[in-house]
Parts: sequence; C-alpha cells; structure tokens
Amino acid sequence: MIDIIGLTKQYGSILAVDNLNLKINRGEFVFLVGPSGAGKSTFLKMLICEERPTAGKIIIAERDIVKLKMKELPFYRRKVGVVFQDFKLLPQKTVYENVAFALEVCDATMVDIENKVPKILDLVGMLKRRNNLPHELSGGERQRVSIARALIHNPKILIADEPTGNLDPVNAWEIVDLLEKINSLGTTVIFATHNKAIVDRLKKRVILIKGGKIVSDRLKGGYAI
Amino acid sequence: MKAESAARIVKLGLINFWRNRWLSFAATLIMTMTLLIISFFVVSTLAIGRTTDSIRERMDMSIYFNDTASAEQIADFQKDLASRTDVKQVKYVSKDDALAICKENPQCAKAIAFSDLNKNPLPRSLEIKASQPEKLQEIADYVKNSQYKTYVRSISYQQNQVTIERLIAITAFMREFGWVICSIFILISILVSLNTIGLTIFSRKDEIEIMRLVGANDAFIKVPFIIEGFLQGFLATIISMGGVWLGIAVLTPRIKHYLGETTTTRMIDFFFNHFAMMLFMELVVGVTIGMICSLISIRKHLKV
Repeated sequence: MIDIIGLTKQYGSILAVDNLNLKINRGEFVFLVGPSGAGKSTFLKMLICEERPTAGKIIIAERDIVKLKMKELPFYRRKVGVVFQDFKLLPQKTVYENVAFALEVCDATMVDIENKVPKILDLVGMLKRRNNLPHELSGGERQRVSIARALIHNPKILIADEPTGNLDPVNAWEIVDLLEKINSLGTTVIFATHNKAIVDRLKKRVILIKGGKIVSDRLKGGYAI
Repeated sequence: MKAESAARIVKLGLINFWRNRWLSFAATLIMTMTLLIISFFVVSTLAIGRTTDSIRERMDMSIYFNDTASAEQIADFQKDLASRTDVKQVKYVSKDDALAICKENPQCAKAIAFSDLNKNPLPRSLEIKASQPEKLQEIADYVKNSQYKTYVRSISYQQNQVTIERLIAITAFMREFGWVICSIFILISILVSLNTIGLTIFSRKDEIEIMRLVGANDAFIKVPFIIEGFLQGFLATIISMGGVWLGIAVLTPRIKHYLGETTTTRMIDFFFNHFAMMLFMELVVGVTIGMICSLISIRKHLKV
C-alpha cells in the first residue's frame, strides 16, 4: 500500500530524514516512535505532501506522490486523513460545520453532507455536541472532531501525529480505542507517539526512528528508545 | 465548478467578512484612507495643473508708447511683432481703451481722478501674449533693440520680470513634478493597504492551513478572501465618497470667502456633475486594490 524508497530530507546541513526505506501494508496499524527531533514529523509531513523530500520516492496506490503537481495535491489530501496534536479545528465553526467543511471544499452536495456528517459524528461519539464551538469542548472531544473530519472522505490511510499529546490519560485511551476501531474497519493507521503505555498495550507494529533513520521495525513490539 | 460550489464559496466570503468584522473594518478604514489620499492628490494635481495653465495663459506684457509715436508706426510695429513665431497675439490698446480699463479698476481710477479729464494721461500700448511665457524675455529684448525703440516709453515685462520668472519656475515645477509627487503618495497608500490586508490574512494563516489540509483547492481558499477584498474596496469607496461629499458641504462655505462665489460654485457644480463618474472610477480603483492586495497576500500562504 505504502512503499517508501530511499526517502531523504535535508534542511541546509541538517539531515532530518536519511535514506528511509519502508513498506506499510493495507489495513496495518503502525506506531512511529522515537525521541524528539528524530525525524518523525518530517516523515509524516512528506507523507501528506506538506514537505517535498530532497530525494526518494513515496509510492501510494502505485503512484509516486512526490511527483504530484500543485493542482493534484487537494485530491490526494482528500484521500489521506490527518490528525494533529493541536487538533487544528476552525475556531469559529461548530462541530458540525468543521466536519462538513471538509466535504464542502470538494464540491459535495448538501444532500451528501447532511447524510454523511451525522453518521461520522455518531461514529466518534460527538453527535450530541454537533452545535458546540471548539472552545466549548474538552481536549478529547476536540480530537474526536478532528478524527471525524479526517475520516469524512473515507480515507484509506489515517495519519495521526501525536494525537494524544495534549490529552489526559483517560481521554488519550478513548482516542486510541477510537483509532483502533477505525483500523478494524479497514483503514491503515500511522500513529506517531511518545506514549509508552499506549504502544506497549496495543502490541502493534512499532517503527523506531532515530537521527532520521529506522533503527528498529518490530511486529507486536513495545516502546523502546 | 458547480453552481452549488460557487454559491458556497461566495457565501463563505460573506460569512468570513462578517465573522472577522473587526479585521475587515480595519482594512476597510485603511482602504478608505487610501482612496481619500488618491482622490485628494488626483484632484489637487488636476486643479494645480488647471491653475498653472491659467496663470501661464494670463502672463503677458505690454509695450507703452510715447505720445510722439504715430498711429502708423505703432501699426507697423504691431505687424512686425505679430509676424514673430513666438508671439501668439498682439492687441492694440488705444488711449480711450486704456482709460475705460483703468476706470474699471478702483485703484487706477483713484490715481487718475485728479488729472485733467480733457487730457487722457494714459499711453497707447500693445498687449503681447507669447506662445510660451518663457519667450517673454526674448520678445522684450527684441523690442529694446528694434528700430521702434525710440517710441517705446516702457515695457511692463521689465517691471514684473522677477514675479513672472518665479511664476514660470513654479508652474514648470508643478507640471513636471505634480504627478510624480502624486504617484509617490498613491504608491505609499497602496502599499499601506497591501500591508494591512496582508496582516489580516496572515492572522488567519491557520485557517488557510486547515483548508489546505482538508483538501480545499486553490480557488476555494482564494476566492472567499478575494470577495472580502472586494467588499472592503466597495465599502471604502462608499465611505470615502461620503467623506468627500461631507467635506465639500462643510468646506465650501468657508472657502467661498477666499476663492470667490464663481470659482466655488464652479467647483461644486463640477463635483455634482461628475459625481457618477467619480463614484465609478473610485469603485474601480477601490475594488481593484482590495482584490489584488488580497490575491497577492493569499498567494504567499498557498505554497507547499
């Protein structure tokens, strides 16, 4: 599903990602771990085309996304769901509007929007809060909305960059359970985290990145730096 | 793009304008200032241009003759001067004409009141208008060295030479640099507008990032901002034209005293007769500045 070949990113003299080679299969749940500054976020940014690699290929669905043209990027981004540590919700829009917005930008009809948004809000347990603004929600609830927005296009891949980083343990576990549920429905999940407890409990594939290189890649691994 | 999407984008622009009303208000205010500055400088430059033209038009010189000069000699001299390429017009002023003109001027009338009314003291003269005021000196030199110089009592140019030269220098400066100064101020005000709109867009860069993140295409991100720019330009035009209207209403009674009834009335008539055209021009300028500034500012945030 995702085939990464010789991926390198250099900022001046700093090598953020160094000749990374990796394969992720369809429907996998992968943890990306490593110390701060290891290159995890740079790697994820290249996956969503926010950064262009200095060298290498990222093949997704038999297409090298590094070569995507500017006008093709929006279409690619609609196929990849992204969840961030800081939620990135539009503060002036309600829960419903935030999720609907992701459909509005890609020419969806009102009927389609009215049909899909309540369903996805129900999936993440946020249907009751549909009319609330982000600042009226807890951190966990905001992250649920963010996940709902990421899932609205039925993406095949969900990228989560430290989604539990700003949450208390209870909310963090709820988000992890939700991501596991989404993965069980067939979505490939790439989860970058520093949370040892989460990685240890889930017993999923763990990729450890240090100094821009893959140091270890273990199936059903635990958190180790 | 589907009609539903187009309507959605326009609606988004209108909603954003309202939701960010304080930022919109600030940008509109700056744009209003820009338009007022542009209006002020364009109108001033046009007015100064007209005034300098009229001053130059009025610059002339008179050659006063001794009573010994015969009518034929003066007529010959008139023909001689009229044949010069740098002379636009030569008009003969008889003693009677001079007296009539003098009587119209209270100061002059007072001066001649004590003289013998049976004997007109005023000299005959030739009034000369040059093709360009700068040529007056050359013409005066020619008169001083011509065969008719013995009949010439005086030349008015010599009395007013300093004033005329200064006026020529000022009008030449205004002609050359009026538009340059005007353009510099217009450029500065446009840059201030660009900066303000740039800041309002910068303050919403997270919003733009989120839009990109959820897969919005460039048009969906750009157009609402351009609509906001359009609205800012549109409102700024209305406010600035209202300001000009108010300014004219308040100022004209005060400047009437300095400019005189006719000039003031002419100015007001000019404003109201050309109001629709001025409104249209300002609308075009305001809306264009608003939209282009938005477009330039938003482009920076759309790069990968």
